[in-house]
Amino acid sequence: MSVLPSRAELLPGTLAMLVLKTLTVGTMHGYAIAQHIERLSEDVLRVQEGTLYPALQMMEVKGWVRSEWKLTPTKRRARYYSITAAGRKQLAQEAKEFERVIAAVGRVMQPA
Amino acid sequence: MTSWLRGLWLRARYYLFRARFDREMEDEMRFHLELRAAEHTQAGMSEQDAFDTARRRFGNRTSLEEHRRTAIGVPSLETLGQDIRYVLRAIRYSPGFSTMVIATLGIAIGANAAMFGIIDRLMLRGPAYVVDPDRVVRLYATEQNGNEQSTESIFGYVTYAHLRANAHAFEDLAVYSATDATVGVGADAHRIRLGRVSANFFSLLGVGPILGRVFAPNEDRPPRGENVVVLDEGYWRRSFGGDRGVLGRTTVIGGVTYTIIGVAPQGFTGAELERRDGWVPISLTYWGPGPDWPTAWDASWLQIIGRLQPGVTFDQANAEATAAHRRAYDGPPNSTMRTASLSVAPLRFNRAGKEQAVTRVSRWLVAVTTIVLLIACANVANLFLARATRRRREVAVRLALGIGRGRLIRLLMAESVVLGLLGSVAGLAVAVAGGRFIRGVLLPNVAWTNRTVDLRVLLVTALTGCATGLLVGLAPALRSARLDLSTALKSGAREGGAHGNRTRSILAVTQAALSAALLVGAGLFLSSLQKVYGLRLGIEPDRVLTVSFDWPSLGDLPGDVKDRERLRRNQFYDAALARVRAMSGVERAAVVVGTPFQSSMTIALRVPGRDTLPQLPGGGPYVRAISDDYFATAGTHFLRGRPFTRADVTGGARVAIVNETMARTLWPNRDPIGECLLLDTMPCSHVVGVVEDARRFGLREDPAMQYYIPLGEERALGFGGRQMFVRPRGDVATLREALRAELARLDPSVGFVAVELLQDSLDPQIRPWRLGANMFALFGALALLVAAIGLYSVIAYLVTQRAHELGVRVALGAAQSNIVGLVVRYGVGLAAVGVAIGMLLSLNAGRWIEPLLFDTSPRNPAVFLLVAVVLLVVGLLASVVPAWRAARVNPIEVLRAE
Repeated sequence: MSVLPSRAELLPGTLAMLVLKTLTVGTMHGYAIAQHIERLSEDVLRVQEGTLYPALQMMEVKGWVRSEWKLTPTKRRARYYSITAAGRKQLAQEAKEFERVIAAVGRVMQPA
Repeated sequence: MTSWLRGLWLRARYYLFRARFDREMEDEMRFHLELRAAEHTQAGMSEQDAFDTARRRFGNRTSLEEHRRTAIGVPSLETLGQDIRYVLRAIRYSPGFSTMVIATLGIAIGANAAMFGIIDRLMLRGPAYVVDPDRVVRLYATEQNGNEQSTESIFGYVTYAHLRANAHAFEDLAVYSATDATVGVGADAHRIRLGRVSANFFSLLGVGPILGRVFAPNEDRPPRGENVVVLDEGYWRRSFGGDRGVLGRTTVIGGVTYTIIGVAPQGFTGAELERRDGWVPISLTYWGPGPDWPTAWDASWLQIIGRLQPGVTFDQANAEATAAHRRAYDGPPNSTMRTASLSVAPLRFNRAGKEQAVTRVSRWLVAVTTIVLLIACANVANLFLARATRRRREVAVRLALGIGRGRLIRLLMAESVVLGLLGSVAGLAVAVAGGRFIRGVLLPNVAWTNRTVDLRVLLVTALTGCATGLLVGLAPALRSARLDLSTALKSGAREGGAHGNRTRSILAVTQAALSAALLVGAGLFLSSLQKVYGLRLGIEPDRVLTVSFDWPSLGDLPGDVKDRERLRRNQFYDAALARVRAMSGVERAAVVVGTPFQSSMTIALRVPGRDTLPQLPGGGPYVRAISDDYFATAGTHFLRGRPFTRADVTGGARVAIVNETMARTLWPNRDPIGECLLLDTMPCSHVVGVVEDARRFGLREDPAMQYYIPLGEERALGFGGRQMFVRPRGDVATLREALRAELARLDPSVGFVAVELLQDSLDPQIRPWRLGANMFALFGALALLVAAIGLYSVIAYLVTQRAHELGVRVALGAAQSNIVGLVVRYGVGLAAVGVAIGMLLSLNAGRWIEPLLFDTSPRNPAVFLLVAVVLLVVGLLASVVPAWRAARVNPIEVLRAE
């Protein structure tokens, strides 16, 4: 269906972590976050864009990110997100957990 | 803390301004789509294509919406549906496990629901329909007689009249008593339980009629009120088919014609819990205690109830009632009533002002059913733990695939709560059956108005089920959620960890300990019951039928007719006795005035050579008039001398028979035969025999002096009330009807012939022990069963878990007997620890249960020993099958399965 190279859907539960990691680079709006993730993963990870905004909203409710409406360089109104202290803590925790899961899955997948 | 507050604020803000948040998100998304589309346009797409591609890439809006809700944590119906589907699937896939859990919880919850239904009526709600029952009290008089103090709730009418006029602590006072009465005449005659009440009785309790009216204030005026009757709803349905035209019709009660004026609500029992068939004004006296009853201080036959004024405490009411009574008293100056203290107590207390034994036993039974529930919980928690260990892999995979830990706990808890609720449903079935059993067999006299399972019971059952589900599911669910993923995924179902074993062992030991305690209770009650039944009463109430005759009232007849009729009635007993003795089913028969367990009397008695008679704690001396063959009929052993002969009775010989206590007290170290008793103003009655002591009223009684005089003499001494005693040859039940028919034929003018087993008069006294023995034994057996299953499952699980180790042992040359020994030692060890703890518990609980036991020490070593042996045997049995399985472990298979 797509002419793009084969892409993987994100593992469930990792989107928040990726978003938080991205925001450690700096304040950006949703579109930029999606672009950033895809670029860094060399287009392997594709953010399901529709899920990005609810996830951002959830993260704001949980206090991991903070947002404000600002004008873009092209003079359009957009919502800019930045990471909070709680967000950084969450990121550290999720990263650790992620490593453990990956290691576990790796062990399961090792040839018997 | 601040971050928690901040989180709360953010969440609250989200819910409050949801619409704005959503609108803003829409804006954001549109902006995103526009940027993406712009990107595509730059790459050379048409605007429409660019936009469609952006849209496609953005994703499906509906599934997004769901995603968002889950993310924010709004409980969605859809995930709830998923949970329920998951739970039902889990229940369906492990039918054995689910059945076990539901059955265990069902039995325990059912037992609790049934007991709640009982206690609800006995203790929590009191008599039906009474408005504001906490303010309604019964009055008691405490009299001081030498060093003896006695409390009774029986008063004369005069006490009531004075209190009602002078005691202002009460809004109102009312009196009542109950009696059996005969309705109708001849073949249609039947007995009813009649309440005799003051006219204000209904209004004091706050109860109105469902049809017609209750008594008007002037209808109870002493000495003779109106002949009006209020029927009980149940009796009205049974006897009048619920006919609303019954008002104004008449019915004959005890030979007197009454007008029916109303019907009381279904199950209205006044101030007590026993069934009543009808209500009449107090002042009707055909059974009454003499014509001067409205003013006599010594005619005590009424119970007084009162409704306290708002704000008046029990202490204030006690003080005021006592003061009012003492001010008003103008009766005999040497009576103990003169200095009596009056007090009040709740309606549920018995005639002696104490909580009824049945109520106390019921309270214990609630504790017992709670323990059964705890044991069941321990058992089910154990099953859940075992399964949680088996499901470690499933849980680990779910976690790895990203299920939230909160959601996981919710899923696992949902399962245990659903099982708990299903247990409640099963429990309701148990409650219906169990409740019926308890009500019918063990508490037959209480008029149960509520159904065995009513709304309150339903509610309690559902809550118990829910709480139980949460309780048993919490630990396993939490442990699952704490699961360490990497080790869980690596290892098999085999390793539950040492921690799991310890929890499970503790649970098994708890079960064993609690069942040991219950079984000790059961043993103590059974021993009490055995003692009660084995008690030598000096009479055999289970072998004696009492026959009483209910004659129509002589009240309105002229004097000479009355005398002639009295004589005719007395002569009737001679003929009746001859006729009954000739019946084939009758072994012996006698006539008696003063039936044991029903009535007892005293008359003035002197003994030559003594100024006063010694006072025994049991009171007396008491007198009873008997025909010949009485002792053989009643089953009282004769000790010395001779019984009365036919000639003694018909010839009016001046003879007497005394009981052992009387002989020993009056003529110590002397032969009482030939001694003289001076009854009232009569010449000497010579003692001709000595019999063993026989109980007058109760199971626990101090020895009292009792003597017997020939039947017929009681008339000269001024008392009466003859009954016949019949000792059946064979079956009691068939003889009953035959006796009734035979005697009704003999004299059709007899109102009603009642044939009852003497034991029935005694049964209410035995009931607490029987209730306790039955219920403790039942619940103890239940607990033992559940505990046995618990032990078995722990040991069986242990064997499965250690199959690897056992396999290695076998491979290294362990004998089968070693393996069996290993497992059995573990099982019996658990049981032994449980027994030890259970025994300690029982020893400590002993002092509370002691007042409820009969001649049984709460530390009865035989009971403790037996229980210990039973539990150890159960422990042994529970380990035998797993041990056998362990011994047959095939080391090759086990090790290969790794």
